[in-house]
Amino acid sequence: MTRTILSSFAILFFLLAGCKKDNYEKPASTLTGKVVYNKEPIGLRSRGVQLELWQHGFQLFTKIPVSVSQDGSFSAMLFDGNYKLVLLPGNGPWVNNTDSIDVTVRGSTTVDVTVQPYFIIRSAPVTKNGTEITATVSIEKISAAQSLESISLYAGKTNIVDQVNNQGSVTVNAADIPDQSQPVTIKMNIPAGLVTQNYFFARVGVKTAGVAESIYSLPVKIE
Amino acid sequence: MKRLYILSCIILLMAACQKDWLDREPRTIISDEQVWNDPKQIVALLANFYDRIPAENGLTDVNDDGDGRLFQWRNMANYDEGMWSGQSNEDWRNNITSYGYDSWYLWNYTYIRDINLALENIEKYGLNLSTAQKTQYTAELRFLRAFNYFNLVKRMGGVPLVTTRLVYDYSGNVTNLQLPRAKEAEVYDFIGTELDAVKDQLGNDGSATRANKYTALALKSRAMLYAGSLAKYNSLMAAPISTPGGEVGIPASLANGYYQKALDAAREVISSGAYTLYRSNPNPGENFYEAVSKKASNKEVILVKDFLLPTRKHVFSYDNIARGIREDNLGSSSVVPSLNLVESFEYLDGSNGALKTRTADNTDFIYYNTPADIFANKDARLYGTIIYPGASFKGLSVSIQAGVMVWNGTRYDVVEGSDLGTTYTDGKLLTGTSGPHRSIQEVSNTGFYLRKYIDPNDKTSTRGIQSDMWWIWFRLGEVYLNAAEAAFELGLTGDALTYINTLRERAGFGASSLSTLTIDRIRNERRVELAFEDHRLWDLKRWRLADKVWNGNPSGPDAMIYALYPYRVVRPGDAARDGKYVFVKMTAPRIRAPRFFQLGNYYSAINQKVLNNNPKIIKNPFH
Repeated sequence: MTRTILSSFAILFFLLAGCKKDNYEKPASTLTGKVVYNKEPIGLRSRGVQLELWQHGFQLFTKIPVSVSQDGSFSAMLFDGNYKLVLLPGNGPWVNNTDSIDVTVRGSTTVDVTVQPYFIIRSAPVTKNGTEITATVSIEKISAAQSLESISLYAGKTNIVDQVNNQGSVTVNAADIPDQSQPVTIKMNIPAGLVTQNYFFARVGVKTAGVAESIYSLPVKIE
Repeated sequence: MKRLYILSCIILLMAACQKDWLDREPRTIISDEQVWNDPKQIVALLANFYDRIPAENGLTDVNDDGDGRLFQWRNMANYDEGMWSGQSNEDWRNNITSYGYDSWYLWNYTYIRDINLALENIEKYGLNLSTAQKTQYTAELRFLRAFNYFNLVKRMGGVPLVTTRLVYDYSGNVTNLQLPRAKEAEVYDFIGTELDAVKDQLGNDGSATRANKYTALALKSRAMLYAGSLAKYNSLMAAPISTPGGEVGIPASLANGYYQKALDAAREVISSGAYTLYRSNPNPGENFYEAVSKKASNKEVILVKDFLLPTRKHVFSYDNIARGIREDNLGSSSVVPSLNLVESFEYLDGSNGALKTRTADNTDFIYYNTPADIFANKDARLYGTIIYPGASFKGLSVSIQAGVMVWNGTRYDVVEGSDLGTTYTDGKLLTGTSGPHRSIQEVSNTGFYLRKYIDPNDKTSTRGIQSDMWWIWFRLGEVYLNAAEAAFELGLTGDALTYINTLRERAGFGASSLSTLTIDRIRNERRVELAFEDHRLWDLKRWRLADKVWNGNPSGPDAMIYALYPYRVVRPGDAARDGKYVFVKMTAPRIRAPRFFQLGNYYSAINQKVLNNNPKIIKNPFH
C-alpha cells in the first residue's frame, strides 16, 4: 500500500515537472521612438498611423503593426533581433519613403523615424471669445508633391481630439483659402456638448490631398 | 472425407474470385463521365455554383473567409443604411472605429478553379451531350465566372485573370503558376467581352433563378457603369488612387466608352419587354414592397437566389421582424434602418426628405395628431422599405413610441419606460411594444424596422417554420437606374430623366416629376430604390465618395447613425398639444463610433499569405 502511494506521488511529481506554465518567453525588449521632422515630433490622430515591423528569417512572415500615438511617439514590446521598420505608403501625412529602416533590438532601443511631411503647422493658437473659438493657423508647405485639401478645427472633451474624436468641427477647404502662406482664421461656435464644460480641448488638423491622415497641432486646453 | 472437404473449400474460394474484382466501379463516387453526360447532374453542379456567388449582404449567415463563401445579412448593419439592434454580442457593428483594410476581402480562386475545371471537363467528357446543351452549360459557367470576376474587381481592383485550370507539373518550379494582377480596366473588359460572347447562348428564357440573356445584360450594365464611374471619379480626386501598372486606377479617357456600354446593355434589357416594372398593387407603398418581396407573377426580378419552404429556408425574418409583432419568443429587430436613410426619401413634391420635428424658428416641437403624420406625403418607397412609427405589417399595427413628454409648467420632462409595452400613469401608452428603446437588445434603437425582405406570411418569423424570401441579385429597377446614370454621364439628360421619372412615378410621384437632373439626385434615387440590396457600399466606393460621406466625424450629419424617437405629449389643459405626438432626432444611443472609411479602404488589402505565395502580386495602394 505504502509503495503504491509513494509511486503514485512519484508519478504525479514527474507529471508536474513535465508541465511548464507557458512554452515561450514573452517578448521583453522595448522599442520606442518618435516620428520626427527637423527633430520635432509630428502631431497625428490617435491610433491613426501605423508603422510596420517585419522580421525576415522565420517561416511565419507577417507584419507587426505599431500604432503611433497622437504626439508622434510609438512603442512596441519585441524579442531581441533584427527588424525592418517600414512606413505605410500614403498613410501618414508625409512623403512616401519606400526605404525601410534597419532596427536592431537589444533590450531597450530607441529609434526616431525621420519623415518629410507635406505640410507642417508653424503655429495654431486657439482662443475663446464668448461662445466662439478662433484658431489662427500658419502652415508651411514642405513638399510640393501634393496639394492642400483642407484645414479643420476640432473641439472635444478630452485631450484626445481629432477627426474621429470630437464634439464639433469646422473645415475650411483649400479652395476657400486664397493665400496659404498667410495665417488662416477658423471660427467655430462652441459645440452644444461643450458649452457647460469648465474646460475643453481644441486642435487643428491639416489634410493633404491623397493622404489618409492629417497632420495635427498640439491640443490646446481652453478654459 | 477429409480430402473432399478441403477440395470443396478450395473450389469455393476460387469460385468467389472474379476476374476484375479489384477494378469495380465505385458505388459511392460519381465519375466525370457520368457527371458530364447527365444534364441533371450538371444542373445540380450549376446549383452549387449559383449558391456560391458571394454577396456582402444576403439573407443567410454564411461567412467563410477561407473559401470566399459570403452571404451575410448581418453586414447590412455596418454602413449608413442601418445599425445593429439585435443581441448585444454583435454590438461591435455599432463601434467600428474604422473599417479595417482587410474589409470586403475576397480571393475565392477555389471557386474560379472549380468553374475552370467544369469548363474543361464538359469539353473533355461530355460526349453524349447535344451541342445545344453543351453550349448552354458552357455559357452559364462563363457567366458565373464573369460575375465572380466582377465581385473580385470591385473589392480588390485588378486581379489575376485565370481562365484555365492551373496544374503543377512537379518540376519544382512554380513560376508558371504565379500570375500577375491584370489591370483593373482589363478585368472589366474581360467581364464585358465574356458576357457579350455568352449572352445569346444562355437560354433559360424567363427564368429568375438561372442566368439568361437579360441577366447577362443586367450584369454588364452594372459592371460597365462601375468601370465608367471609377474611370471618371477616380481621376477627379485630388490625388487619384492608382498603381504604376494600372492594377488599380482606370484612365479617365475610358469613362465614356464604359458608360456607353452600360447604357446600351441597360437599354437592351428595358426595350426588350421581357421584364416590366412591378405595378400590380394600386397602393404604391405596398406595390414597392411586393416588387422586391412577392414571388408570384413578378416580372421585375431578373435574377434571384430563391429559397423554398419547407426545406430551403432562412431565419432572416426571425432575426429582423419588428419586435412587437414577432411570432417567436426570441429574436427580432437585429438590423434596423437609420434616420439617415429615412430622411433620404424625398417628399412627393420633390422637396428634401428631412423630417420636420421643430418649428421653423426652433422654439417648439411640431405636434402631430398621429405618429404616422410626420411621414405623410413621403416617397412611397419609404413605406415599402421601412416600418416607421404608425405603419403596419401583416395587418398588425406596429406600436412605436419611446415614451411621453410631460409638461411641468416650464418645459417637458421626458419619461421613458424601463420595459416595452408599458403604461403611463394616465392609463395610456408609455413605451410601445416595438420600442424604440435606448438599451434593451432586440428592440429597434433607431425607431424604425425593416420591411424589405421580411416575409409577410404567417409564422415565417418563427424558428420552426422560417422564411423562404428570395434575395435579389438583379431587378429591372436597378437597370433603369444604371441606364439613367450612364445616360446622364454621357450628356443624354433627356433619356436619363425618362428613366428616373418612370421609377419615381411607380413610387407615387406624379408623371414627369423631375424636369432637371443632377448627379446627386441620381445617387439619391439609387440609395432609396436599392436600400438593403447590397449596393450602397459599392456605389459610394465607385463614386469615390465613401471617404467623404463616412469621414469618421462624430459630429457630422452622415457618418453617425441617427434615430428618431416619438413621444406622446402629456399637457392637460392645452388642447392643441395634449395627446399629440412629437419627435426627437438624436444619435442612436447604441452607436459608439461614426462610420470611418479611409483612402486605404477603396481597395481591400491583399492577404499576406497570397503575397508570400506569389511575388508577382503587388499590394494595393495605402497598404
